Amino acid sequence: MIIVTGASRGLGRAVAERLIFSGREVLSLSRTSEGAPGDSVTCDVSDYEAVKAVAQSLRKEKREIEGLVNAAGIASMNLAVTTPPSMTQKLIQTNLAGTIHCCQLFAPLMIRKKAGSIINFSTIAVTLGLKGESIYAASKAGVEGFSRAFAREMADFDIRVNCVAPGPIKTDLLKGVSDEQIDAIVAQQILPKLFLPDDIADLCEFLLGPQSQSLSGQVLKVGGA
Amino acid sequence: MNAEEAKKRVMASITEITDGEVEPTEEMNLIGKDARLDSMKLVELCLSLEDQAGDLGFEFDWTSEAAMSRSRSLFRTVSSLAEEFHAQAQAQA
Repeated sequence: MIIVTGASRGLGRAVAERLIFSGREVLSLSRTSEGAPGDSVTCDVSDYEAVKAVAQSLRKEKREIEGLVNAAGIASMNLAVTTPPSMTQKLIQTNLAGTIHCCQLFAPLMIRKKAGSIINFSTIAVTLGLKGESIYAASKAGVEGFSRAFAREMADFDIRVNCVAPGPIKTDLLKGVSDEQIDAIVAQQILPKLFLPDDIADLCEFLLGPQSQSLSGQVLKVGGA
Repeated sequence: MNAEEAKKRVMASITEITDGEVEPTEEMNLIGKDARLDSMKLVELCLSLEDQAGDLGFEFDWTSEAAMSRSRSLFRTVSSLAEEFHAQAQAQA
């Protein structure tokens, strides 16, 4: 079974739908079950105890976990100096702490089998240093740093950990971002094109599968940067 | 499960996960420079105890804040880990 967080919408949903279409068993985790494909559980990843309850339940049911896709995340496009502290806290707690919670609590389910693949979501904003995304990028830079070190910790157990760092992708997360702003970001990519949720699903399928067995601790930048 | 049984379980688990290469003692360090288990084996020990706890009908939580504050680190020695294992079993009985 593969756990996909943030599966009720956006990239998480696209990944979960693709995996189900490919015949994989998926457990969708999201704050609301509405829109989440496959078996779904309501869980706010920023809440350690909530994630722990899901992990305990899976362990009691002796469910075998082959993969984890940490797609749950929030964005706030704002200058750092105009961002309220509550939003800073929310971004860090969901994007960074939420990813850490899921990794540390679901990884033991894979350690038992000594196999698995974990995909964490970053953003191309980390590399490009995009104006108006400083705090969002900071939360995701944390995810990249965590993932590289966690990949080493998990290597002994044959569990791979990688990051996918998308640029602008047409999802709800981009609501409120103008076409001009999106075009300006896309123009900075090596492949200056607007990619689709399906492209991210392709990448996740690859990283979850045996074709990527030589990759761990990597950040795959969608579109290149 | 009494305290002595908890200690025996921890020691037996260490023997099992190290294929008998490590002969545990009560005061054997589990972390720090004198630790006899590497980090991989320490994780395996935790998972083994978690499984045994499940069979005994309680949840063994090695990451809880309460466990850490009670004993600074439950991983100091075999004894401290066994004490925590026993304490959690008692608390959930």
